[in-house]
Amino acid sequence: MDWRWIGALAFLLLAGVSESQTPARLTKAQVPSCTRCHKNFVSVLPHKHPLVAGKEITACLSCHVPLHFTKPEPKPFSTTIHRVHVRADVKIHCTGCHTWSPGKSLGLPKQMVSFGKVSKGQMDLIKEIFRSWSGSLYLDALHANRSITCTGCHGNTLPDSGDTVQNDRCLGCHGNIVDLVAKTTPKDHPDRNPHKSHLGEIACTVCHHGHSVSQAYCLGCHTKFIMKIPGGER
Amino acid sequence: MKKKGIEEALRNGRDAFESTESTILCSRRDILRGGIGVGVVASTGGLAMNLASPGTAEGAARKLPTKWDETYDIVVVGSGFAGLAAAAEAAKAGAKILILEKMPVYGGNSIISSGSYVAWTDKYNLREKLGLGNDSPELHIEDTLKGGDYYGDPKLVEIMVKGAPDALNWMIDEGGLKIRQVLSGGGGHSAFRVHISEDSSGAAFCEALKKIGEKYKTTMRLGAKVTWIWRADQEGPVLGVEVEKGKKKQNIAVKKGLVIASGGFGRDIKMRQAYNPSVVPEYNSTNQPGATGEMIRYAQAIGADTIQLNFVQLYPFGEAETGLLDPYQAYATRVGFGPIYVNKLGKRYVSELERRDVCARAQMKMGLKPTYVIMNYKQMVKVGGEKDLETGVAKGRFIKGDTIEELGRKLNIPVPDLVETVNNYNRNMKEGKDPEFNKRINKDMLPLDEGPFFALTAWPAVHFCCGGLRIDVSARVIDIWDKPIPRLFACGEVAGGVMGSNRLNGNAYPSCTVFGRVAGTSAAKEKA
Repeated sequence: MDWRWIGALAFLLLAGVSESQTPARLTKAQVPSCTRCHKNFVSVLPHKHPLVAGKEITACLSCHVPLHFTKPEPKPFSTTIHRVHVRADVKIHCTGCHTWSPGKSLGLPKQMVSFGKVSKGQMDLIKEIFRSWSGSLYLDALHANRSITCTGCHGNTLPDSGDTVQNDRCLGCHGNIVDLVAKTTPKDHPDRNPHKSHLGEIACTVCHHGHSVSQAYCLGCHTKFIMKIPGGER
Repeated sequence: MKKKGIEEALRNGRDAFESTESTILCSRRDILRGGIGVGVVASTGGLAMNLASPGTAEGAARKLPTKWDETYDIVVVGSGFAGLAAAAEAAKAGAKILILEKMPVYGGNSIISSGSYVAWTDKYNLREKLGLGNDSPELHIEDTLKGGDYYGDPKLVEIMVKGAPDALNWMIDEGGLKIRQVLSGGGGHSAFRVHISEDSSGAAFCEALKKIGEKYKTTMRLGAKVTWIWRADQEGPVLGVEVEKGKKKQNIAVKKGLVIASGGFGRDIKMRQAYNPSVVPEYNSTNQPGATGEMIRYAQAIGADTIQLNFVQLYPFGEAETGLLDPYQAYATRVGFGPIYVNKLGKRYVSELERRDVCARAQMKMGLKPTYVIMNYKQMVKVGGEKDLETGVAKGRFIKGDTIEELGRKLNIPVPDLVETVNNYNRNMKEGKDPEFNKRINKDMLPLDEGPFFALTAWPAVHFCCGGLRIDVSARVIDIWDKPIPRLFACGEVAGGVMGSNRLNGNAYPSCTVFGRVAGTSAAKEKA
């Protein structure tokens, strides 16, 4: 038994004192039990869901395979399970389900899957963004409503603060730019189309912000224009 | 290395500045107590050169980065004409280039400008072809100097003028720029030398410059804001910049140079008034929102000198609420057709033929916002077409009244006063005089006798900052001791001394592109 085992065991013993505390570190062999909060899974499963044997997240992962996270398709399981667990009032750390320690790979217990190496700073950012995604008024939450998780926009690389999503990724779901222009041409003043402006081709993210309030960039100068935008409420 | 005591250093500000102690000469408190603003800091002890600004604790004690996140030969700050030209030229010379743009879109004011490039000749010999008279570099130089009340530096003006045709041809040949086969005149220009892009846009020029740069593998980073310039001491070169992107700060080292091409400070209300107290916050700005002056401050903090920051050019006919220069505002400037400018009381307030700055100050002095340009149908169709009139009215940009009385009511101007003003004006025009403002009446001016009548709002807006960082003929930034700061270059609107007190129409284009090229060439020549 190496020192990590001893440390982890000691931590678990301490953690047992208070239910709200969760282990910050765990090794691959350890899988946290869901039963600390959920007596069984029946109470949290959808009505027609088959019975689930087991007490750990691995019970879910045998069917809900965490693959294909490079595709921007909806992932209802991932969305549902994350949204309920990242709310501000649910004090559970990511390692409640995930395997991770600072600077090491973020993964899932007993799964050959890695979401990449995640530093302490990145983890703080992930937690902050996840909270926004689960219930803000911004585009992240609007995407969450359609079961789009982080990877839907960001692909399989972990974004850094200030990174932006490429237009192709947005247009992959939102149609090509020609259709978008046609769809958003204002009836009263057709030359005031934010998708076809005198600035030429610009990044979608100039106006559409995932994790903060969205605003038409036009309004920076054309202050009298009336332009509505999804995720534009504070 | 000179060893100097603090007292001696304080007695002699210049020596203090030149000291290169390896330990801190004096604490920040000492500096402040001594009343000198420039922090004297170590070159080898890892401290950065700073201006000790009261209230900012880090001012006097910012430490140089111990490691750099990235290294480039040249970092260019700003992605307008000047920055793009500098990057393209330096990259062509083989340097590895990074362009930093703090806004989420590239192009600054350049990309929203109207596509007028002034050059005394071009590869097509348009002037000769079109039979538009004579021009010469000397004439363009003289016009530019005169237009700036002879405050401009003749040496810099000469570089701009003589490099203008070549820079234009470069964008056509290498960047695929398309210009109309016409030449226009422009305010203050005594020859036909205004070249216009095919779509009358600055974007066409930006795209051409960007294309040249990309051919030589320049990299552009948007949303990346410089937050400090690193320099160890007053003898040494610029080392790099601190850059903020998102919530993350990075330090980027430069091996050959830092080119500041960050534009003016027309959107920095405090700064423009600080240097010219008459430019009150009530002036709008025609500039894009990123036109704030922090790069000038960062350069000053490492010893850079400035020139003529007080010369802030005003544009009197911006749309009253936003300051925008839309295509409709051009109607206000066609004074040859005889429009009148009136205030909210229905009175004229200036001769419509006056210079822009005189008009703007007359508007501001009254304190009655907005002012109106009054025209009638006959005048309007001479400027634009029927279609223009229709869309202008639909957008609320032109206010229309079939009679002067109706127009007055719509504008909320006292109707009898406006009627009296218009009647007086028409009568005076017939007699060829203007007793009130001494406007020269000529035969092309049309009286405001027939409706329908139109009005557009006008309010002065800060348009261009003529002053900026002091540069030499190689676009090197000069420090407060009159020496070039090694590896620091500036070009475009951020560099002062070219335009004098006032910039002529279309001169910003050659100034930015030519000095951009000069800066890029100079920086690329530096030894890494």
